Amino acid sequence: MACSCVAAHLFHGGDFGMSVVIQQIVTGLSIGGVYALLAVGYALIYSVFDFSNFAFGCVMMVSAFVAYYSILAGCSVAMGIALAIAVGILFSVFIELIAYRPLRKKNTSRLFLMITGIGIDMAVTNTAVNLLGANYRPFPNVSVTEPIMMGNIAVGKIDIIALIVSLVALGILWVFLEKTKPGLAIRASAYDTSTAGIMGINVNQVSIIVFVISGVVAAIAGIFFGMKYAIYPSMGTVSTKAFIASVIGGLGNLEGAVIGGIILGLLETFVSGYISSTYRDLFSYGLLILVLLFMPGGLLAKSKSDKL
Amino acid sequence: MQYFGSVLTLAGINMIMVIGLAVLVGYTGLFSMGHAGFMMIGAYTAVIFYKYLGVPFAVCILLSGVFSVIIGLVIGYPTMRSRLTGDQFAIAMMGFGEAIRMIVSNTEPVFNGALGISGFPKLTSLWVVTLLVALGLILMFNFIKSAYGKNCIAVREQEIAAEIMGVDIVKTKVIALAVSAFYVGVGGALFAFYMTFISPAMIAASKSSDLLAGVVFGGMGSISGPAIAGGALAILPEILRAFSTWRLVIYGVLFVVVMLFKPEGLLGYREISFKPVIRFFGRLFGKKTAAESVKTDNRNGGDADE
Repeated sequence: MACSCVAAHLFHGGDFGMSVVIQQIVTGLSIGGVYALLAVGYALIYSVFDFSNFAFGCVMMVSAFVAYYSILAGCSVAMGIALAIAVGILFSVFIELIAYRPLRKKNTSRLFLMITGIGIDMAVTNTAVNLLGANYRPFPNVSVTEPIMMGNIAVGKIDIIALIVSLVALGILWVFLEKTKPGLAIRASAYDTSTAGIMGINVNQVSIIVFVISGVVAAIAGIFFGMKYAIYPSMGTVSTKAFIASVIGGLGNLEGAVIGGIILGLLETFVSGYISSTYRDLFSYGLLILVLLFMPGGLLAKSKSDKL
Repeated sequence: MQYFGSVLTLAGINMIMVIGLAVLVGYTGLFSMGHAGFMMIGAYTAVIFYKYLGVPFAVCILLSGVFSVIIGLVIGYPTMRSRLTGDQFAIAMMGFGEAIRMIVSNTEPVFNGALGISGFPKLTSLWVVTLLVALGLILMFNFIKSAYGKNCIAVREQEIAAEIMGVDIVKTKVIALAVSAFYVGVGGALFAFYMTFISPAMIAASKSSDLLAGVVFGGMGSISGPAIAGGALAILPEILRAFSTWRLVIYGVLFVVVMLFKPEGLLGYREISFKPVIRFFGRLFGKKTAAESVKTDNRNGGDADE
């Protein structure tokens, strides 16, 4: 991606050595934070319902475009972001209600759920390409790309904001899952959905909460990605990184997803900084293959037997 | 006439690739979004062997299939061996498809990067494609009827039960992947020699979706269904130009609709059978044709019992 080349050159502009490494680490952590957010949104659904929500990327793209157009239409940046998150939630829940829930009721195989997800992603992404054009758009009215100097270390403002917001969001999510009653219901459903249902947990309600969280997370990630790089219809493919991150961390494992996301972000930043940004994605896929080869369960493998 | 010929050639190429993917997705229940990668491997293998090493066309086609299988095994065996869930396999294949595209578009020496390779003759004719479609269909029906094909269905239906019954799951899945890689690789080679020019942009990631659409619409667990759907989906964009731009949107919506209302697809678990037609004519013409119909049935044998 052209933008990451610019970022790489920006960093090479400074003096080499330790400060460059620190810059790379901060950038890597901030990208990793966004990946971690996405990966958590994805892993949450996987842990409860045991399927990959491949329609995740298009929710991210739609939210980013909502922010883009509402800010262009005269909303303030905060208003645009709020609208984007609202649309992210609505769209995510809409997908659950219209497509996934009827399918789950029929007890279909996971393959059909995956095909449905891919279908939604294809339809929404290509509608956006046809109607809005496939070109890249910079995030409007926000100048967050200029670096902040800390001593002789230049760090992008957006990187700092993204890192802080992702950490705060992850923290809130952790508190929600660990300390509240709905959180407990989600954890119980993740352990065993059908038993949780028998025990009186309203699994349909859990599914709505889970998809709301995934919508919020997708919207935040979409906005940050749009600010850092650009907004374009096929930006949803970034969610592939979330899949990779959660495979690295262990499918369906939330802590693992965070760790996987941060590892992936650091790896990508160092590859684009020191090798070439063209091969950035190649290294991510390579890491995926290596993890699958040597630790198929991921870093934090959750031992789980197949259900008959 | 020439126009129809070229449309039919493209349809045939698409048919070969779709029936390849049908074994993996429809029969074995493994989901792949990266089969454009195998198409790319097939296309470049054939072109490189033909152009730089002077290998005859027929051998090139075969080699492209073999190369796809080899790379399919390299990527497939580890993922299968480590007992990945269908989701992990799907993600790994997605990564594979992207990785192949990235390597090809960024390697200047042999692949000529994003510019691609040109300057080789058009060797894919309608006859070659027809022959290969027929051959491919016959081999595929035999594969499905063989013990390997039955293992594939067992794995799709109930993996653990199949394993208890003694089916080697890893082997079955790897074989299914290899077969599908071979077909898609050959399809890629035919495509390259039809276009007389090959570049990474011609085999975009959306090609994987196109192939998948053929399988989903044609029917999971059928060969003739995806073959028909694959042919039709290749012809439609040629007839309806507007369809070409909105194609992927329509496919996407149809994916959801098909999964919701008729998840088994157009033909479901059936194969095209000529029995009803023969029975109809048998009734019309009396005994003699009825006797013939028995003979045809035996020869045909393509009706799956599922």
